[in-house]
Amino acid sequence: MYSSFMAINILFFGQLRDITNNDTLTLNNVPDTDSLMQQLKKSYPSLAGYPYLIAVDKELISSNTTLSDNCTVALLPPYAGG
Amino acid sequence: MKEKKPKNIFVQGPIAASFIAESIHKHSTQTEIGGHSIFLGQVRADIINGKKVSFIEYTSYEEMALEKMHVIREDIFSKYPLTCMHVYHSLGKIAAGDICLFVFTSSAHRKAAIDACEETVERLKAELPIWGKELFEDDTYQWKENK
Repeated sequence: MYSSFMAINILFFGQLRDITNNDTLTLNNVPDTDSLMQQLKKSYPSLAGYPYLIAVDKELISSNTTLSDNCTVALLPPYAGG
Repeated sequence: MKEKKPKNIFVQGPIAASFIAESIHKHSTQTEIGGHSIFLGQVRADIINGKKVSFIEYTSYEEMALEKMHVIREDIFSKYPLTCMHVYHSLGKIAAGDICLFVFTSSAHRKAAIDACEETVERLKAELPIWGKELFEDDTYQWKENK
């Protein structure tokens, strides 16, 4: 069925789950990562105080990135494997 | 063309000493190997502000971690003449004293195995999206950070 909707899947990990009380979230019609982060910081103001990297479809990004329908954006706090 | 699915490195719970012994034993038929190098990560009972860590609970963005590990593996194999490499990382609650990481490299001569093992450990600590929640004896916790 045709839909003008663009759904973005968001994944939270590590200490960010403590802030959002959520592992995942779906938002609609978010054009790029900058506007996504603006929206998320509005919903979760304390996000602003935490370090994290952003991955779009499992690739780390370092600047504003255009999002496409059904893509996955992950917020990754500092790694602690090993 | 379809890419080969990255090898899974994750195991639920601690890595048993018997599993490590079995892995070593499996290489006895590969007689071109002259040296193995093994790194084992063990959960340390750190004392933080007077409180003792009793477990680390590991979580990961598994799909991304496996893709990244695949890249690391390819890089290491193109840099060192290795016969094989095995990597296992625990997920879930691991008690202090238990093994949570097992990196195992093998080569004809020792240097390649030793250097590849060290570089793999350093890279996976820096590049794999894995998180550790340090659980204290009094049921409070803090998030681990790699130094």
